[in-house]
This record gives sequence, C-alpha cells and structure tokens, in this order.
Amino acid sequence: MTGATVLVLCEKPDAAMRIANALDDSGRAAARKIDGVPYYEAKRGNEELLVVSALGHLYTVAPKTRDRDVYPVFDFQWQPKHLVERGSEQRRAWIEVISRLSKEAGDFILATDYDIEGATLGYTILKYACGGKENEAKRMKFSTLTAKELIESYEKLLPHIEFPIVKAGLCRHSVDAMYGINLSRAMTVAAKRWSGKYATLSTGRVQGPTLSFLVTREKDINSFVPTPFWTVKAEVEIGGSICEVEYEKDVLGKIDEANAVVNDCKSKTGKITSIKTRKFRRVPPTPFDLGTLQSEAYSHFRYTPKRTANIAERLYLEALVSYPRTSSQKLPPSIDYKAILESLSRESKYEKLASDLLKLKVLKPNEGKKEDPAHPAVYPTGNLPERPLSDPEKRIWDLVVRRFMAVFGDAAINRSVRVSLEVNGHSFYLRGRQILKEGWMRFYRPYVRVEEVILPHSEEGDEVKVVDVIREDRFTNPPSRYNPSSLLKKMEEVEIGTKATRADIIETLYRRSYIDEERILVTDLGFDMINVLSKYCPEIISVDFTRDLEKRMEEIQNGNERMERVIERTVNQLKPVLDELKLQEGEIGKELSQAIRKARMQQRIVGSCPVCKTGSLMILHSRRTGKRFIGCTNYFKGICKTSFPLPQRGTLKTMRRNCSACGWPVIHVRMRGKRPWRLCFNPDCPSKERKN
Amino acid sequence: MQCEICGRETTSNFCELHEMAYKNLHERYEDWKKALGITWIEYIKEVLKNPNTGVWAKEVAQRILSESSRE
Repeated sequence: MTGATVLVLCEKPDAAMRIANALDDSGRAAARKIDGVPYYEAKRGNEELLVVSALGHLYTVAPKTRDRDVYPVFDFQWQPKHLVERGSEQRRAWIEVISRLSKEAGDFILATDYDIEGATLGYTILKYACGGKENEAKRMKFSTLTAKELIESYEKLLPHIEFPIVKAGLCRHSVDAMYGINLSRAMTVAAKRWSGKYATLSTGRVQGPTLSFLVTREKDINSFVPTPFWTVKAEVEIGGSICEVEYEKDVLGKIDEANAVVNDCKSKTGKITSIKTRKFRRVPPTPFDLGTLQSEAYSHFRYTPKRTANIAERLYLEALVSYPRTSSQKLPPSIDYKAILESLSRESKYEKLASDLLKLKVLKPNEGKKEDPAHPAVYPTGNLPERPLSDPEKRIWDLVVRRFMAVFGDAAINRSVRVSLEVNGHSFYLRGRQILKEGWMRFYRPYVRVEEVILPHSEEGDEVKVVDVIREDRFTNPPSRYNPSSLLKKMEEVEIGTKATRADIIETLYRRSYIDEERILVTDLGFDMINVLSKYCPEIISVDFTRDLEKRMEEIQNGNERMERVIERTVNQLKPVLDELKLQEGEIGKELSQAIRKARMQQRIVGSCPVCKTGSLMILHSRRTGKRFIGCTNYFKGICKTSFPLPQRGTLKTMRRNCSACGWPVIHVRMRGKRPWRLCFNPDCPSKERKN
Repeated sequence: MQCEICGRETTSNFCELHEMAYKNLHERYEDWKKALGITWIEYIKEVLKNPNTGVWAKEVAQRILSESSRE
C-alpha cells in the first residue's frame, strides 16, 4: 500500500463491519453514515481505511431501450440497478456514497465474497462508481469472516481482482438477461396483445428446463395406472419370541401364486436352514458443500434450499461458519482442524465430542470428490455465537458443527444377520442389524438414523413354529413428486444453474404460480407455459442447450473461451427463436391468455360447497357494491344461493384445505400490521364457539 | 376438435395428456388380467377405486365406464 487512504469495498453491510473491526488496530473501527449509508473508518498502522459495502449488485445488465414491450433486444449494457428495476431506489444513495468515498481514496481493495457474483459486483462498482479502478484494485481472498483470516488476507493481498471469473460473471449476466428478458417479454407481450390485460409471465435459460422436468413428472403421475402384486409374510416362533419373516420372492405377480404359498405354509413347522452374518464398515459422511447442506437441512428440518442458503449466509456474516456458497467437499489442513475443535469445546454440548477428537493422533477428514477452486467445504469457524441465535440458526449451526466433527470420526462397524428358514418347501428369511462400533455416528447424532434389529438366539437346524401366514395385497406406486430439495438435486445432477442460483429459480417458479405446495404440483399455468414453449421453441426447454452454455461459461472462467464469442453464439441461437415467436404471437397470446384466465379462476376457488355439495365456493366481487364475498358457482345456474362475507381489507389466499373442526374449506387472510390467520367461514363452526 | 374430457385442442378424441393415460390403461390391463383374471370393465372399476391411479387415468376410466353403461 502507498500509505494513502484505502477504500475497502465489501459485499454486505454486516461484512463491512466485521472487516473494518478486524483490520482496525484497536479492533473497533469508527462507524459513520452518509445519507443513511453506513461505512467505517479504520486505522491500520499508517494507513487510513474507508470500509464500505455494496448492497448486493448495484448495477445490472439491461436493454438500452426503455420500452418494455419491445423484443427481440440484443443491445444490452450495465446500468445502475435503481434506474431499471422497481424497488431498487435505495441503491442510488449507495452508489453516490461509494462514488464520493472513492474520490478520497488512493488505493482500492475488493473484499466482496470470493466467487463469481462477488467478483462481478465488485468489478462493476469499481468500474462505474469508482471511476475505472477495476484494473488497479487489489483483492482480499477469505472463506470466513473471522478476524484472524481477515487480517491474514489483508496482509497477503492478491495483486488484482480475478479477471477470468469476472469475465465469466459478466457473460452469465448478459446471457441470462438476453434469455430472460426476451423470452419473458415474448410471452407477456403476446398475452397482453391478445387479451388486453397485463400479467407477468417469465421463463429463462434454466427456469424453462426446470419447469419442464416437473411437467414430465406430473404427466407420469397423472397418467399412472397401478399394477397389482402380492407379498407374503409369516409370523414364526423363534427362541420363544414371535418374529415376522418375509417370503423369498419380494413380488408375486399372481394372486393364485400368493394364495398357494399361504395355504402351503399355514400351521406348519419349519426349519432354520442357514444363519449368515456379515460385518460391514460405514464410512463417515463427507464435509458439506452447499447442495448437501441444503438437502440435509430439508430432510431433518424441512427447510427449503433457499431458506437454508439464507440462514447459512447469516451464520457466515456472524463469522460462525465458512462461506456457504461452495461446491467443495474438501477441508484443507490450513483451516487448522485442531484450533477449531479446541474453540468448539468451549460450548458445553460439544465439549466431550471435540475433546475426544482432539485425543486422536491424526485428524484426517473423509473428503468427498467435489472441489471448488475458491472455497473449502462449509465448516464451523470455531467462534461461538455473540448473540442468542434464532431456532433455525441454531439448528443449521448445530448441523454444520456436528457434520464437521463426524467427518473426522472412525468408520462405524455394523453387523447384519440373515436367517433363512424353510417351511414346507418355501423359503423365508429374517434380517437383523446391530451396531458393533459407533465410530463417527456418535458425533453426528441426532442427524444419523440407525435402527438396530436384534434377533433372538437361534441355530441352524432349529425347528420353528409358523403362527400365521399373511398375504398382502399391494399396488405399484406412481413416481414420487419432487420437493424443493430433490428438485435442486436434479438440477445439480443435470448440471443446470449454479449453486448460487438454483434455489432462487425454484422460488421463482413458486412466485409465478407455475408450481404449488411442498410436494411440488404443477399448476395449469405451468403446464400451459411448457406446452407453449415446447410447441413454439422446444430448444429453450432443452437441458442440453442450457448445459452446453453452462460449460462454455465455465470455460471462460478457466481461460479457454472468450466472453464475446459466447455472447455472439447466444444471439445467433436466440434470434431465430424470437423471430419465430413473434410470427406466432397471436396463437401464443391466445393460448397463454386462456391459461392465465383459467389459473386466476382456479386461484379464486376455495373448495367444494358444503351446502349444495355439487358447486364450488369461489371468491367473488359484488357488481353493485364492489365488495368481495364467497359465493357458490351454482348460483349462476339458480341452484344454490350460499354466500358468506369476507374481510374487505388484506390479501386472501385459498388453501385447498378444510377446517379441522367442521370440515368446511378455509382461507388464509393476511392483513397489514396483523398476524396472518386462517378463516373458516362456517358461522356454526365449533372452533368459533370455543373462542366465544 | 376438442378433447372429450378437458376440452383442450386436439386432433383425436383425447388431448395429448389424456391420450397418454388412455394408452397406459390399455397397456396395464394385460398385467391385471394375468394377475387376477378379470374382465376389462372389472379392471376399469378397480382402477377407478385405486388411490394410486393418476387423475387423468381416472378421468379416462370414468369416461370408458360411462360409455360402457350407455351401450
């Protein structure tokens, strides 16, 4: 550094505060504010530091033309976000303050997250708000916000920002904007021109293929026809206990076959023919990358991937865990395993576990295959919370801590036993399972599920008495629905989207009403959107198409591809698609408008009418007074006059659920300043009597 | 032409979605016949009762059943 004032640019206000305090000689940088924008003045040796943060991206890629009805558009540029996006007004002050502070600075350091988004947002701010400082800025690289790592990172500054990653980021933003804006406009404009009504419709490079998976699965479920099959189980007496044994064939395709087994074995005596035991090792889990953390959090706490990512981000900003947006399953020794475990042992619930690990001669994590050049796997920093954590934060932190400890544990050793027996010429078997050595599992409780099945003592040749034989009538099941976690896994598997964007894309599908519920159900609108896309531009929902683009963008990051070439290729691919969409605008508009109308009607249906039993209850508006109420659809046929009043303020959401007390449909009411509540509109509902 | 069940535009009796369910219904009948030795209509009634049957498959089954009762 030259000794001049240094501007340190961070990604978020919380990070700026931590970085400023860590770098300040006294550990407490002076907090300042201009126009509501916080920044910090820190002193480090003879250097004056101005530490300021962005507020996520302050600039975005937008078309040069402001007319939102025009497509195709290929002329894009980076513009301040507040000028092109509604609800971004706050960012104006941020840009002005950063710009002002940059004039006082002689040196620049980028201290945003070390990943594609952090590099891109830092680059655009240095370029546009700081007046072209992107080439002279130095870079802090860190994976945790602990004071120790931040100081080390400041002492060993990288000479410049990571340009190949920036290029890849700039390219990704441009390509996504080109896809998203053009395709969404094509759909929205087509529907608006046909119906005269505006409705936001969107699709994108990753959104389209993702919705397409869901539609394919929905089709398989809705057209599924089950097939019958049978299983046979028997209850036998072994060593004085009654055990359930299974027939050797898991599936019997004919009822006669199943009946024959039952008749042959009923009230008979059998013999144990063999007892086979097998010991097997269960190796420890691998460290968390973001995807596995999201999947584990969903499985234990039912948190959506987006929610887990947000909580992990908060824990990162509190310096409790390392940077969560990582693909790595590696933990390098440089993070200092021992120091982390020693720090964690200060927390009473981890004390015993951490001290047991510290007794090991060598600490060696069981690493996974996945790597990330920028960050290690997610791990606890060893810091303890400085404030009481909320329950969700506590859960995610505990999960990360226990997983970290578990990866250093020994393999667990289990024993499985298979007892085979013969009854009147038919073979049955019984399985047992026992843990011989807990190994890593004790560090990962309660997140590891192991059920022991201890079998009664028996020996080969022992006679067993058949108490009962049961035929079970079964049917094949339809494919299971995706949930947010399994959908994210699918996106990872087919390599579309990035670790930072996948969860957001799933949320967008919910927000646009293309999908609904936790066990994901595709709405009619979602179906029709994919129908239109597959009819008029099937390449847009092709996984290969978007995956190829992802690969090319990765190549830019590796220095093997040029950004300009990828953008040019995108334009060449998109142009004919958009021209075709324009030609078919009338047809597309008609199909989409009908779908929107149907979807809006669906959203107003509350449930079936409990009075006439044939109509549906629907949210309606009185033509005379404009007031909203619930009425039966059979009113228009002159069959049912059922109606109920509704609150006139707030938003209403149908729930497709019935009241637990009376069985009538309920709706969800959300009113400003009040807690949302469920409204059962049955005036005689017993739940209302209880309250009165 | 419109789908007899949902009214979607189509070139045959059923739309693409209900056609898929119709094909599945026909294909699976062989398995049911082998397993239980039941007639086509008995099979359709069983499928209609089954909670694992998909919505469109049920709609097609219902249609087949009502057509057979008219005959």
